[in-house]
Amino acid sequence: MTQAQLQHSDIPAGVPMHDAGERFHPFEHEGMHQLLAEFRQDVPIFYSPLIDYWVVTRRADVISVLRDHERFSAVVATQPVVPWPPELLQYLVDQGFTNESVQVACDPPRHTRIRSHVQGFLNPKKLQSFEAEVRALVQSYVAAINGKDTVDLVDAITYELPALIAFLLLGVKDIDPRRIKSWTELRVKLMHGHPTREEQMAAADDLLDFWRFSCDLVEQRKVNPGDDYPSWLLASRGGDDTRLTENEIKSLTFALLLAAHETTSNASANVLLELLRRPEDWQALVEDPSLIPNTVEEGLRYVSSVVAWRRMAKEDFELAGVSLPKGTKLLLSLASASRDEGTYENGDNFDIRRKNARSHVAFGNGIHFCMGAPIARMQIRMMIEELTSAFPNMTLIPDEEIEIAGVLTFRGPTRLPVRLNG
Amino acid sequence: MEKQKVRFEFVTFTGERQEVEGMTGDTVMQVAYDNGVEGVAAECGGSMSCGTCHVFLDEASFDRIDAPSEGEVDMLDIVASERRPTSRLSCQIKLEENFTGAKVMIPEMQY
Repeated sequence: MTQAQLQHSDIPAGVPMHDAGERFHPFEHEGMHQLLAEFRQDVPIFYSPLIDYWVVTRRADVISVLRDHERFSAVVATQPVVPWPPELLQYLVDQGFTNESVQVACDPPRHTRIRSHVQGFLNPKKLQSFEAEVRALVQSYVAAINGKDTVDLVDAITYELPALIAFLLLGVKDIDPRRIKSWTELRVKLMHGHPTREEQMAAADDLLDFWRFSCDLVEQRKVNPGDDYPSWLLASRGGDDTRLTENEIKSLTFALLLAAHETTSNASANVLLELLRRPEDWQALVEDPSLIPNTVEEGLRYVSSVVAWRRMAKEDFELAGVSLPKGTKLLLSLASASRDEGTYENGDNFDIRRKNARSHVAFGNGIHFCMGAPIARMQIRMMIEELTSAFPNMTLIPDEEIEIAGVLTFRGPTRLPVRLNG
Repeated sequence: MEKQKVRFEFVTFTGERQEVEGMTGDTVMQVAYDNGVEGVAAECGGSMSCGTCHVFLDEASFDRIDAPSEGEVDMLDIVASERRPTSRLSCQIKLEENFTGAKVMIPEMQY
């Protein structure tokens, strides 16, 4: 059956699809999972007028779009939700900001060409080779809080540590991780948040500093190559622009300086929060650490740090019974997909022994599947291993408000105040 | 060259058989996707990043087709189910006519 294409203005007020669009606040994370659980029952897709995206709530539909890179383009994946003012764009161009889409926001054949180079370094085997160094870093952070009574785990561990692990990949030793973190937060806000025009304009110089830092790193590796990501890319390029250009390598480095830690900081804090909210689970991991790898997966499923990801239709299409035109922008709710009752029994329950936890979509699916997944999993696992081992009686400090900092796509607690020894 | 149909079968861990048909140039993973074959997770959609489309081939077919690349051999080191002599990543097997009649066995788990 060919359906007439739906315009969002055609959706009558009062029907569930319209109602969902009115009630969904994409930047508000408080209560988001509960709302999505409700929508998932009757509303597999709805229009969100606040962002001009169609929101997809069911796992099968989310996966079908992620896998169909022929019909659904990734070019909107990191597009600013609030467009950058032309003056900002011009200023950035004038100042030599030549960052280009190289991974998450580009399509084949370009994506295929670039990914084939990246794959040589960001592959599971190479990432596994960092295991001892990652372990040592995690242990040093856990040792640093030993002896204290109360600690904010975000401030003390989950915020900084993933950045230092990103530095391992990049061969970077001499920069304050907090500098990279604050640059990263700025970039995330510019892409996925809703900054004011003043905030956008004020961000320009910091954004440029971050870009120049990435460029300098690549320039240094040209002179002194090491066993690190930019050096690998330079070698893989072999001086041939048709394979990979220097600007693409700078853009890849700029991308890794965000992607390699931002989501892991949030993901590790998210799972720690869920565990600490359930002292019986913390105790179970203390007694049986072999449950930890599945706990990591359940954390990624139950409270993914990437709550949504974006695509744009390259042609007219039908999804979840709705026909929509070419150019339609889709917000794929990974938060909803990973709790879909069609796949997960009692999907809204956190269950560290859940058998199919690992089939979540927190790392995406299809050709853009997260290349850093193995090292993200590794460090979250090690954080839980080291913390449960060092502080078997750790508890969340009661009645402290835990704020979830959120943008359109990411979520994580801003603080995690705990009493280390109960 | 004109595409040819290639028929082969998947065999699940519990022994259920499913005959399928693909076209030359398709990958075994794509045929699994297209036919809703369970047990080939293929999280990364064939970009050799996840090791979750692991399969075992019958010996004769394994010997008949092109050998795995170095990258694929490396990835096979990290698959979840036990690696066997005829282990392959289904995303890396491109169908040619010589794949006709192959048995593609799906391991117990992909992760």
